[in-house]
Amino acid sequence: MHEPRDPAELLKAAAEDDHTAWDQLESRFGSRMWAVARACGLNEADAADAVQGAWLRLLENLHTIREPSGVGAWLATTTRREALLIIRKEPPGFPSFDVVHDPDPATAVLEADGRHLLWKSVSAMHEPCRTLLQLVATDMGSQQVAMRLGMPVGTVGPTRIRCLEKLRTLLSLQETVQ
Amino acid sequence: MINDEYFLAALRLAAGSDPIPGHVSAAARDAFGLRVSQAVTAPPADCAAPRGVRGGDGPGMIRFVAAGLTFDLEVTVGDGLIDVAGQVFPHPGEGSHVDVRTPHLTLTRRLARSGQFAVTGLPPGWLSVVCHRPGFAPVQTRWVRIRP
Repeated sequence: MHEPRDPAELLKAAAEDDHTAWDQLESRFGSRMWAVARACGLNEADAADAVQGAWLRLLENLHTIREPSGVGAWLATTTRREALLIIRKEPPGFPSFDVVHDPDPATAVLEADGRHLLWKSVSAMHEPCRTLLQLVATDMGSQQVAMRLGMPVGTVGPTRIRCLEKLRTLLSLQETVQ
Repeated sequence: MINDEYFLAALRLAAGSDPIPGHVSAAARDAFGLRVSQAVTAPPADCAAPRGVRGGDGPGMIRFVAAGLTFDLEVTVGDGLIDVAGQVFPHPGEGSHVDVRTPHLTLTRRLARSGQFAVTGLPPGWLSVVCHRPGFAPVQTRWVRIRP
């Protein structure tokens, strides 16, 4: 079995007209770009536009990405910028859609490694945070979460905020240990 | 709060509860067919006319400039479709033509002596214009999103 090609290699091959390399970039980073667009609060149609926009920006910049190994972060950041332009309803040609080269740290949590660590950390949390965050992750509404956990609906929102705060603390402690 | 939203998005991603739709992946893969070999990309530039796209009250102008060429695009959205009236100047020379592209449809137009061209009935979404001129690298406008 072949080793997966690294992102820099895939980007170089795509720039040299290798369609399969482009497809592999999509396989590798498409889900994360989708999650970034959805995290910005876009509905499915607008999120699809933001993701498509980021791929078109990559086409425009195939030969000029400064750090080819960071193309995944570049795509996530570009998706976020396109999403924010859609949210702000900026007219086409608005100057801020200049492409940025610096990855946005806010999207780092969506990196594959970070994601696994995040899920592991949630599994290790005490109740009700563990179940609450797992339910929220499956897009379950507040009412259903309240029923499943046997808590008043009004407390789901504040508890969710507290649990996310705990999760953030847990993750920063793990970063300190590493 | 965006940080919480990113945490939740990462959790949803890990849980596989909001997967990327198949048509979004397919569109991303198909986008590779839209690359133009050796093209120079024209970024947006300031123009005197108001920017943007209008609905029923008249068109909006978007200008792009690169490689000595200026593209002025007047984009109108009506009945859910896009009309583009454009001009490339100075005239890029005899035998030049433009491709007005969306991810799903490309329309080719010869340039008039004035450098003007027009297309109607494009689907809304991402749009770019490429000017092909004999003996020189093609010039493509940056992709812009046009929605009603």
